[in-house]
Amino acid sequence: MMLGDWRRCWKGKRSDERAQSTYLTASLSPREGGEGERSKARAAHLLRSGEKAGDEVIAVSQFVENFLQALVAGLLTGAIYGLMCVGLSVIFGVMRVINFAHGDFMMLGMYVAYYAFGVLGIHAVFGSTLGPYVAALIAGPVIFLAGILVHWLLIGKVTGMRSSALRSEGHYAQLILTLGLALILQNGGLYLFGSTPVSISTPLASNAWALGPMYRDRIEVFVNQGQTVAAFIAVVVVLAFVMVMNRSRLGKSLRAAADNPEAATYMGIDVTQSHRLAFGFGVAITAIGGGLLASGTSFQPYVGLEYVIVMYAGVVLGGLGSVSGAFLGGLTIGLVQQMSTLFLPNQLQNTAIFVVFLFIVLLRPQGLFGTALRGT
Amino acid sequence: MREAIPRARRPIGLVLALALAAAVNAAAQTKDVEVGLIAPMSGPYARQGQVMKMAADMAIETINQQGGIKSLGGAKLKLEVFDAGDSVEKAKNAAQRMVADAPNLVVATGAYLSSFTLAVTEVTERAQLPVVTFSYSDLITSRGFKYVFQTSATGVQQAEGSLPALMEMAEKASGKRPQTVGIVMDNTAASVSFVKPMRDHQFEKLGLKLVVDETFTPPLANATPLIQKVRSARPDILILLPTVISDAKLLLEKMNEFGLGRGKLPTIANGAAILDPDLRNNMNIEQLEGVMAVVADWTTSAQKDFVAEVKKKTGEPWATQHFVTTYGDIWIFKAALEAAGKADRESVAKALHAMNLTGGAANFFPGNGKLKFDENGRREGASLLIVQWQKGVPITVYPAKDAISPPLWPKQ
Repeated sequence: MMLGDWRRCWKGKRSDERAQSTYLTASLSPREGGEGERSKARAAHLLRSGEKAGDEVIAVSQFVENFLQALVAGLLTGAIYGLMCVGLSVIFGVMRVINFAHGDFMMLGMYVAYYAFGVLGIHAVFGSTLGPYVAALIAGPVIFLAGILVHWLLIGKVTGMRSSALRSEGHYAQLILTLGLALILQNGGLYLFGSTPVSISTPLASNAWALGPMYRDRIEVFVNQGQTVAAFIAVVVVLAFVMVMNRSRLGKSLRAAADNPEAATYMGIDVTQSHRLAFGFGVAITAIGGGLLASGTSFQPYVGLEYVIVMYAGVVLGGLGSVSGAFLGGLTIGLVQQMSTLFLPNQLQNTAIFVVFLFIVLLRPQGLFGTALRGT
Repeated sequence: MREAIPRARRPIGLVLALALAAAVNAAAQTKDVEVGLIAPMSGPYARQGQVMKMAADMAIETINQQGGIKSLGGAKLKLEVFDAGDSVEKAKNAAQRMVADAPNLVVATGAYLSSFTLAVTEVTERAQLPVVTFSYSDLITSRGFKYVFQTSATGVQQAEGSLPALMEMAEKASGKRPQTVGIVMDNTAASVSFVKPMRDHQFEKLGLKLVVDETFTPPLANATPLIQKVRSARPDILILLPTVISDAKLLLEKMNEFGLGRGKLPTIANGAAILDPDLRNNMNIEQLEGVMAVVADWTTSAQKDFVAEVKKKTGEPWATQHFVTTYGDIWIFKAALEAAGKADRESVAKALHAMNLTGGAANFFPGNGKLKFDENGRREGASLLIVQWQKGVPITVYPAKDAISPPLWPKQ
């Protein structure tokens, strides 16, 4: 939604005008000498105080507007971060694997959404308003299958029950494997997709709903339409996944495989299969997050590096292994990143994230929501 | 023995004939004059290198079709390309390969980023290979080198010249002098050096009040806080300096969302990144309308035929800064070779130092209409252009003598 005229006058006119009229009255007063001078001085004082009060009102209303705008931006950005963190958290929570290639699966999700939108005809069928979000959802199952394949061929060899036979329970091999996978995906992406930045075009990306004007027309907050739709989808996907984890037999088997793989095996649960599904779900959820991002920003094959650190911070902040905690951790990261700009220079946005991260780890090593939400 | 002589003469004759043929062939080969292009052909900057190669190929094709280098008996130009990669180290290695593997190279152009050019010219200077460059850094021609020639207005010249040019343009277009200014920039070296003289003394000198000054670390996750501050401060002009396309997209889209886009708030960037076709491919064309950039080269009103030829031959939507300048560099090579009359590095370097052209190659470089280098190799009278997105195409709008169209500027 466009603003008609952005140059609205916020000069606190009323107090200024009142002081000005008092000054004029004093100037026209027939009395001279001390009384007249005192009136002039009082009027000048009122003028100054009126200006000061006007400035204060402007400053306060501007701060409130900036605060609300940053809050909205933080919530909308944080919801997408939260979705991506959930994907990472599933893999870590169930498999206990630190997946350095996670950001690159997100990148693959972005490209799947991009090509689904442009080449597979999603744009033609659903248009440029709905199409980008349908394309983002399509990225989920596609990357789920890719994740299953990668686990079957590679990750499964160094994780799960097999890893107990390896040095340090396979953690070294897992680290090297996922790092190598990240490099292959980045450079393979460069070869396949090229280095030219691309994005999914939607009119919602630069349109907003306006809240207001409020408070004597001094405050108006814009809510980006594209990000709002993306955040809504992110929340729905997370809720759906939490339902699956809590209410379905599949979710129970995944949680059992996470809690105690040996006991789960004795109970007839195929732990390797559970891990494979967890890996598939983890990368698929993050791919949907990537697909949602693809309509708001341009990207190239190295885009995953920009997000993977934020994802890890969100997961640890929320509480390792907790799905709901990971989402709230991602949301917190988004809020800190955007709202820190109210008090700190923009350059320190990401520094603020890690200062808060370290502070929380210092006070609550289990993460913000680790205890309360464990087991979701 | 008598019978043996004629038998022996036959192979000698054959050898002489072969030697003659080889000499003729060799003479034909020496007619080609090797010129070099060192630019990124791989990695994230590969697209710019490819554009530069397209420009060099097009210029060489035209020169060769017109009879080559006449003072060298119609010698044809031959392009040798060297991949500068995506790092200073790779660019330096490419320069070392260039001087070692191509001893017949007489002159070269490159190397895209200033940091690459600084490293490359350290190598080429020792090999006494003349290099003509468009890179902006003042350091390139501040080291006392004899074989480096810089055609662009340097970074400091651009920083000093852009704000007065912008003020002049604003006054002419709107009849009103801007009073306030805002800066939103990333913290890369190019952006920081561009605004340094402005913050140091230019704003004060020009009577401009800096009402918003925000610096961010790329890449941006969300441009809302930055543009919200611009919206609150309401400057008359905004200096917007992103260097990554994803950041430019986020910032410009957010400005449109907040009602500041499409020329409502005059916005100016530095460098050609914000004028790149890649940005247009990632954004709604209408949202770019009115965005301006200070650049050291672009196509001007005198080059309409050239632009049509570029579109026809390369399929590019327009000639970018790197296209125009590389194309012009090849024409500088031709002029220097014609003047030198010899295809050797020393003669070409002398010809470049003595060059004083009007017309021809000089048409591809903005300034006083002349092409002349000072003793440090810096082009005399080099100036800047202001280019603005109008109807989906970036076109020159300042100075008036080079402008293809008048600038779009809000009247209020």
